[in-house]
Amino acid sequence: MESTAKKRRCSFNKDWETTYHWVKPVQGDSQRVFCEVCQSSFSVSHGAPERSGREFGSRKPRREEGEPRTEKMPLDQDWTAVYPAATPFRAGSVPLPVRMGYPMKGGVPPEKKGNLELIKIPNFLHLTPAAIKKHCEALKPFCTEWPSALDTDAKCDEHFPIKVECTDYVSSGLSVRNPSARIVQLKVKLSILNLDDHARKKMLKLVGERYCKDTDVLTITTDSCPLRQQNYDYAQYLLTVLYHESWKTEAWEAEKTVADMEEYSWEGSPSQKNIMDMLLRMKVAGEGEGEEVQEQLLARSEVQEYKDSVTRLKNEGDNESSVLQYKEAVKKVFNL
Amino acid sequence: MAAPTTLRRELLPLARILGGISHLKPRSLTVCSGHRKCSVTWSHLPLTPSTSFHTAVFLSSTPSAITVTEEPDTLFQKVLVSVKGHDSTVLDSYEFFATMAAKELGITIGKVFEPPKDIERMTLLKSVHIFKKHRVQYEMRTHYRCIELSHITGSTAKVYLEYIQRNLPEGVAMEVKKTAMEKVPAHILKPLWEDVPTEDKPSQ
Repeated sequence: MESTAKKRRCSFNKDWETTYHWVKPVQGDSQRVFCEVCQSSFSVSHGAPERSGREFGSRKPRREEGEPRTEKMPLDQDWTAVYPAATPFRAGSVPLPVRMGYPMKGGVPPEKKGNLELIKIPNFLHLTPAAIKKHCEALKPFCTEWPSALDTDAKCDEHFPIKVECTDYVSSGLSVRNPSARIVQLKVKLSILNLDDHARKKMLKLVGERYCKDTDVLTITTDSCPLRQQNYDYAQYLLTVLYHESWKTEAWEAEKTVADMEEYSWEGSPSQKNIMDMLLRMKVAGEGEGEEVQEQLLARSEVQEYKDSVTRLKNEGDNESSVLQYKEAVKKVFNL
Repeated sequence: MAAPTTLRRELLPLARILGGISHLKPRSLTVCSGHRKCSVTWSHLPLTPSTSFHTAVFLSSTPSAITVTEEPDTLFQKVLVSVKGHDSTVLDSYEFFATMAAKELGITIGKVFEPPKDIERMTLLKSVHIFKKHRVQYEMRTHYRCIELSHITGSTAKVYLEYIQRNLPEGVAMEVKKTAMEKVPAHILKPLWEDVPTEDKPSQ
């Protein structure tokens, strides 16, 4: 009724029953009609139900949902058949009274039927202990035993001294590959390798920071090649080259100065000269000059002790015991 | 004197047992009856790792062939499996699964521990334009779980890791650090130039 008068809400009109066969009035509410096709009522306050013509014949009546499967599940069923693979949570297949969600004021967590939280979270219903046992039974034939003779770490280190470490990465993303997976770390104890004194010192100089003094472990980390296999081969190559190069004695190694030395050696050092001069001047050894006196002095036990204490002090640094030892040695030499 | 005589076992049939490398999406309603490979592919999914692969673990009645090669097995002194995710309860369940699987397969578990979680917090502007005083704060929590396995052979490691990785839940990432042991290679036992010390060009 379009007019200057106020608009009114439409209500049920008997004529509609003849025009649309699927229309039935709703008792108690003249603003709504009941559609027999989709078994639901809708409001007609805005006009005749022509707009709902799309429902006429185009939608099947919604069938009744039956009993959930949980009612029919026997107690001794095979659960691995219900959930054989990882699938989202199905409220009708899981016979547990699970509740999940935030309880509103004065309420409880919502039930499992239609619960999105239960569907979102990854479930482990396909990995029950029974399922794991079944899987492992099938996987057992592919496994091999660890050799029983290598039960302790010490034995492993003795027979297999080289340790190769690499990392694998599994994550979801655009690519399966992770560039960090190419890094290979090779660790070996230098005491295992066949090195003499000169070779060991040269090796330490070649290697520099890759050697840890406390654990005597040489660590070679390679990441310059794009593939792990290449990096592993390169690490093996480096180890081989280091070993063989350290056994070689080059011509320029003869120019090694005192500053290059790794350890302090007392023979030929200013400390030796000083103590010799001091003792000669004190005339401890009595008469006679030259080499014999020197050797006599050196052979004395006090001088040897002094030599040990000075060497220890220089190599280990200043700790209490080494300083005390030096003090004792000096007292003995000068008979204080 | 220990000589590892364990030979490597091929893993190809494992894929058949666990449903194969497929590009499936999980169908939520049907259960694959007998056939493990459904022929329907929804879309051309990139072959992402195990996180989206949930294959049916139906055991076939025909035994898969195990091939034994002459190559000696690698020996791993330590395998460290560390998983990380946003939900610690999911990691709890995964830890139970991984430790139980290790026990069933006879793998010695070193230790299982939980490194402390990382929380990344950010404070961002609430509004698109101006309103500098009004911010919103987010945080992202990453929980970790580490399982250390010791004294495990290469074949067993492959089997176990593939099983574990195929059943990795969504939103969980894994890092596997393997420490293999090897003998000293034959060419490092003795120096090359014991007889010829002044050789210039070394050969490997």
